[in-house]
Amino acid sequence: MKSKAKSGSKVLWGLLYAGTFAAAFVLSAIFNMTYDPLRTRVEWNDEVGTVYTDLSYGQGSANKFDLYVPADNTKGTYGLVVYLHAGGFTAGDKSGDAEILKWFCARGYVAAGVNYTLFGEENPQASIYTQSLEIRNSIPAIQAEAEQLGYPLDRMAIAGGSAGGCLALIYAYRDAPSSPIPVKMVFEAVGPASFHHEDWTCYGLDKSPEAASVLFSAMSGNVITPEMIESNDYAAEVRDISADIWVNRDSVPTLCAYGAHDRICPFPAVRPLLDALEENGVPHDYIEFPHSGHGLQNDNREARLYQAKISEYLDRYPG
Amino acid sequence: MTHTQKRIITLVVIALTASVLGRLAVRAVLNRLVGGTLFGGNFL
Repeated sequence: MKSKAKSGSKVLWGLLYAGTFAAAFVLSAIFNMTYDPLRTRVEWNDEVGTVYTDLSYGQGSANKFDLYVPADNTKGTYGLVVYLHAGGFTAGDKSGDAEILKWFCARGYVAAGVNYTLFGEENPQASIYTQSLEIRNSIPAIQAEAEQLGYPLDRMAIAGGSAGGCLALIYAYRDAPSSPIPVKMVFEAVGPASFHHEDWTCYGLDKSPEAASVLFSAMSGNVITPEMIESNDYAAEVRDISADIWVNRDSVPTLCAYGAHDRICPFPAVRPLLDALEENGVPHDYIEFPHSGHGLQNDNREARLYQAKISEYLDRYPG
Repeated sequence: MTHTQKRIITLVVIALTASVLGRLAVRAVLNRLVGGTLFGGNFL
C-alpha cells in the first residue's frame, strides 16, 4: 500500500517535471518570438492620425500606396517619410509596415508605404530596375494626394528594409536630383547596395558565372552573360540598380544597418557602398549587427541604437 | 533538506533549463533561415 502510494507520487512528480519543462520551453520560445526590443507600436486612433489605403499612383495593379497623415493639419508644410517594404523583390506588401509608418506619423510626418510590381510568374519582366521606376513615379502622386488632403510636403526621407532598402538607396542616390520633393536623407537596413558578383558569396555567384548571369540579369532587367561576368564587364548593365555607383559628393546623409551573418543580403556587398560614402565625404552612420543575420535578430543593443539614430537623423535632416 | 524541497529545486532547475533551451531553439531556427550566431549579442 505504502509502495503503491510512493510510486504514484513519483509518477505525479515525473509528470510535473515533464509538464514544467514543456511549458517553460514553449513560453520561452513564444516570448523570444514576440518580444519587440524597439517598441515601435503606437496607440493609433483619430487623435494621432488617419490612414488612407490603396491610393493609386499608376496603371499597374500593384501601383498603390498607403498614406498616413497626422491629426495635426495646422502646419504650413510637412516632411514625408516613404518606407518601402521588404520581400526579396518577389513578395511583400505595404500593409506589413503599418506599425513603423504609424510611428513616423505619430512623430508628425506624413508617411507613405508604396507597393511595386513584384517579380514572379505573373510579372516575369519585373526587375529591380522597373520597381525603382515605379517608386520614382509614386512620389509625385503621393505629393499630390497629400496636398489635396491639406498636407503640403517640402522635404522627405526615403527608407526601407531588405528589398525596400535597396530601392530606397537607388531613389536616394540616383533619383533624388529629379525628385519633386527634396530628399534630405535615406535610412535602410539589409538592402543589397551593390552588385559585384564576387561579393555575392552566399549565393555562390563568386564561383559560378552562370548563376551570377541569371540572377543579375533578372535583377537588372538586362542581358548579362556568363562571359560578361567572367570578364567583369557588366557594370553598365547593373548601373541603374547599383546604389554604390550613384553615390557622389551631393548624395544625401545615409543611415544603414547590416547583419554580419546575413544569408540573404550578401554582407560583403555593403562594403562598396561604405567606401563610396567615405570617398565622397557623405555624412553617414553604419551600424553592424555582429551576431545577426538578415533579420537583425540577435543584437537588441544595436537595434535600439539604429532606432535612436533614425530619430536623430529625422530630427536633424528633414526636421 | 526534505524530499519535497529537493523536488521543488529540481522543478526550478528544469524550468530554467527549459527556458534557456526554448530561447536557443528559436534562435537556432531563425539563424538557419536568415543567418546569425547561436551565442553572443542578446542574452543567449
